[in-house]
Amino acid sequence: MSHAAGIDVGSTQTKAVIVDIEGRIVSRTLIDTGANVRRAGQRALDVMMEEADVERSRIGFVVGTGYGRYKIEAGDTQVTEISCHARGAHTLFPGTRTVIDMGGQDTKAIKIGEDGDVIDFCMNDKCAAGTGRFLTGAAEVLGLTLDEIGPISLKGTKPVRLTSVCTVFVESDILSYLAQKRKIEDILCGVHQAIASRTISLVRRTGIEEEVTFTGGVARNTGMIHALEEKLGVTLNVSDDSQYTGALGAALYALDHVRAGQQKAAS
Amino acid sequence: MRTTIADSKDYRGTVHKLSRDIISDWLGQLQAATKTDTKSAYLMVSGNCVEILRCFDILPTFPEINALQLAIRKNSLPYIIKAEEIGYASDNCAYVKADIGYTLDGGIGEDGTIPKPDLIVCNFVGCNVYIKWFEHCAEIMDVPLVMLDIPFLREDEPSKEDTQYVITQLKELIAKCEDLTGKKFDMDRLREHLAYSARAEQGWAKAKNLCKARPAPYDAYFDAINMMGPINALRGTKEAADFFDAAVEQYEHIVEQGLGVVDDERFRIVVEGPPPYPYYRNFRGLFEAWGAVAVQSTYSTVGGTWENGFCHDPERPLESIAEQMIIHNLCNRSMIERYKQIHQYITDWHADALVIHSVKSCRLFSAGQGDMREHFIRDLGIPTLMVESDLEDPRYYAEAQLKNRIDAFFEALTYKRLRSTAAAEAAAAAATQGD
Amino acid sequence: MTIDEIVLHSRSLLDMKPSQVIKKTQETYPNVRGFAVFPVYAPHEIIHAAGLMPVGLYGAGDQLEITHADSRFQSFICSIAKSTLELFLADEMDGFVGIAFSSICDVARNLASVVSRNTEGIYVEYLHLPQNMASEQSQTYTRSEYERFRRKLAEHVGRPITDAAISESLKLYNEQRRLIRAIYAYRQDHPGSISAAELTCITKAGTRMMPGDYLTILKDVMEQLPQRPAHARDTVRVVVEGAFCEQPPIELIEAIEAAGCEIRDDDMMLGWRLFTGDVSEQGDPLTALANAYLNESVYCSTRHDYYHPRTEGLLARVRDSGAKAVLFTPAKFCEPALLDYVLFKRCLDDKGVPHLKLEFEEKMWTFEAPRTEVETFAESMLFD
Repeated sequence: MSHAAGIDVGSTQTKAVIVDIEGRIVSRTLIDTGANVRRAGQRALDVMMEEADVERSRIGFVVGTGYGRYKIEAGDTQVTEISCHARGAHTLFPGTRTVIDMGGQDTKAIKIGEDGDVIDFCMNDKCAAGTGRFLTGAAEVLGLTLDEIGPISLKGTKPVRLTSVCTVFVESDILSYLAQKRKIEDILCGVHQAIASRTISLVRRTGIEEEVTFTGGVARNTGMIHALEEKLGVTLNVSDDSQYTGALGAALYALDHVRAGQQKAAS
Repeated sequence: MRTTIADSKDYRGTVHKLSRDIISDWLGQLQAATKTDTKSAYLMVSGNCVEILRCFDILPTFPEINALQLAIRKNSLPYIIKAEEIGYASDNCAYVKADIGYTLDGGIGEDGTIPKPDLIVCNFVGCNVYIKWFEHCAEIMDVPLVMLDIPFLREDEPSKEDTQYVITQLKELIAKCEDLTGKKFDMDRLREHLAYSARAEQGWAKAKNLCKARPAPYDAYFDAINMMGPINALRGTKEAADFFDAAVEQYEHIVEQGLGVVDDERFRIVVEGPPPYPYYRNFRGLFEAWGAVAVQSTYSTVGGTWENGFCHDPERPLESIAEQMIIHNLCNRSMIERYKQIHQYITDWHADALVIHSVKSCRLFSAGQGDMREHFIRDLGIPTLMVESDLEDPRYYAEAQLKNRIDAFFEALTYKRLRSTAAAEAAAAAATQGD
Repeated sequence: MTIDEIVLHSRSLLDMKPSQVIKKTQETYPNVRGFAVFPVYAPHEIIHAAGLMPVGLYGAGDQLEITHADSRFQSFICSIAKSTLELFLADEMDGFVGIAFSSICDVARNLASVVSRNTEGIYVEYLHLPQNMASEQSQTYTRSEYERFRRKLAEHVGRPITDAAISESLKLYNEQRRLIRAIYAYRQDHPGSISAAELTCITKAGTRMMPGDYLTILKDVMEQLPQRPAHARDTVRVVVEGAFCEQPPIELIEAIEAAGCEIRDDDMMLGWRLFTGDVSEQGDPLTALANAYLNESVYCSTRHDYYHPRTEGLLARVRDSGAKAVLFTPAKFCEPALLDYVLFKRCLDDKGVPHLKLEFEEKMWTFEAPRTEVETFAESMLFD
């Protein structure tokens, strides 16, 4: 009972992390969630245990997070990804006071205290405008992959202006600009700036306090990092492990339970 | 342990049953009136003047309550869609759409459940959408409309012209009712109805104040609808006054026994905004899972803010009706007044947090709630959660999204509490060592 | 100035932020300060009589990026509410004494609270304009509301606002409204002499000038109109309805005209030209203003008048202007316009008047889709 695991079941991908009793990451994995959410959690756990050569009996506690958290059979309890992202980001960058998490359907701003707990958070409106979904839409219209659009946007010099960051209108907006023979890099630069503006107004609701850590799937997009940094006027913390932030936070919550169990046993 | 009322019918006491009985009785009267020539009139719930109608035996009907009932019985969507088919926008208030859809479907009138009104009394108090709603009802059903223009409360007190304007319009309404029914207006009868109103209002105030007890005897958001029906629709009757006497007695008993609405009251919250009626129990469950109980709510005061001590005065009949319509209801007061009201609730009712349920339909409530959140978190340091759905349109309720935000909010409160307990213990330990 | 120059000048005023408008006005009128109002009705005469310049806010178009206001107002709230708040939060309202909102909709009412909570030293007024035109007490009440506004405004500018000053302003605004009516009438008689897009630029710009200077401009327009060739085209004559508050982008109006419609009448900037005739210049000016609002207003979506339904008003407007169809242009999320659409649609369907609905947003920049829609609509009528 010397390890703990966190599983973050998202709508497209499932991420999982195993930590040892000191909180060090011993294994991590990322798989497609697929249609069966229930199975995704178990699969991720199995992959990790095999890679790290950790037996199930050594994992004292499993915390599930993400939208699929209640469907993870392997999970002993559930914690929301908001708390998990805060904790994970704080572990990766202990100076973090503000977390911007941008995923496929949600954008979150989380304000955290010195000890990594959530002080306040804000998420996008019910409407999905301005989330990662918008970038996917833009990439699709232009026939590019998600990984390509960020670097291309950095080349833009005359960013276009968009009607809104509504995922419904992105296609017609972009097609109109293409018809006007605007450069793809300028269109993409405009797309990234529009989302950055929208995100910043969300972050303003919780207050922007440094250090700011950027997490979630979109944190891999250099164009978005640049657009946010430019508008915020601060440098963002971005980890190479950024996709695992939620799973790491979940594993650390799980570790709390393992340690509490050990203390109880000791006393 | 009883932590989910949503799954069991095991309410403490019988207030909900008493309420259901008298409301069913009233709905029965409405149903019966579809077949007779009993006169009836439309009113808006908020800041209404139902007592005047009672003087003429005019049965009051409320399109809002119709919409609410369609939603809570999970019947609203087909009517909303029906209304959208004739041109209502997806961005229009779904209360309006459900009620109009129901009307077009034959729900009002001879073959329906609610009598076709003989008069539409538009006491729109603050809600501009209501003006349109009642115009539409008047047009579609070809029923005369009486406008009761209630000046919004835009200074600390209404001016004497504001009050006089309302009183004059009330007199003009009385004349209309006399024409309609052929009955002569009797001021003494109005005084009688107002005395019943006052008794109910005093009961309301007592009941609301009982939620200051820890644990609270009932949920002042989710259970408050048991009192809202009687106070808003049946006010001015002996039945409603008796109901409040009984309710107060029961709640006092529950408080004496030290019982709460849930066994383990962990969080006391104040809730702002109307509930999602299509998912009422589901939504309630999301809070109960955390032992969160509403000790006060703004929605329950759309009809009147009687907890502040105001009640109708039989000695000043028309004046006190006018005052209630202008000053003493949530809808006719500004957002800033609502901030003060909520802050008072949080302080006096010993609440831990504010939850804002922002509904798309009702902009009277929702427009600017982001600013409210800002004010409570930044200026007052009160933990505040804002979630969105709708009061009528089931298409706007996203359970996973709501649950996620509600869970995260209470997780944060839980960890905050753990930390402060730990800090207190550490301080106590340090103090002991120091001795 | 020629009409072309006036239109150009107007466009430059429309592109300015309110603080810039005041700065520019101060070049001619040192120390003049502004007072903001919406395109719906407000008693401009009282504001002007206080020595202030009434300035119209009609949405900031694409001049302003919304970065603060949408944390206060949700995604389902109209643009004008957000851009108005943004102007205050982004310090673009320098030189203004205050702003008056009125009882037009639930959003405007809450906005008054939010603006007042988030600003310092700004006088925020909320006027409850009457919704009952027929009570015995309506006139007394309305006058008292104007009196209250006069009293408070006087406190804020630190000097009394006299009846004589209001009467003077009343004459100015009467003349302004009279000239605008005359230009509209001339245009109806001489289609193509001035486009709706040009005219809207001018009516909008009028809310960003001192009324005296604006009169000169309107007179210039009126004088020169006969020199402009009227060119009748094969068009569909339409009434544009639903943009009485937040104003559509000028490009949308151009798109409608380019798509083959001749705009005969409309309700854009309606609040600044609400009355059917002159406000009485005799007697107590506040009573005259109250009477005009109660009894001599054009129908409008923000004003309930039981005995004069808006559906009848629209039918009369269609008839009187010789229009054959109606284009509804509500702002996205504008509750009064979207609700009125239902009854308008009902009565137009009943009378067999074709109509088309085009929602607009202030940030829209591409007008090909609405143009295609209007073109198709116009074709269907022309080839009928």
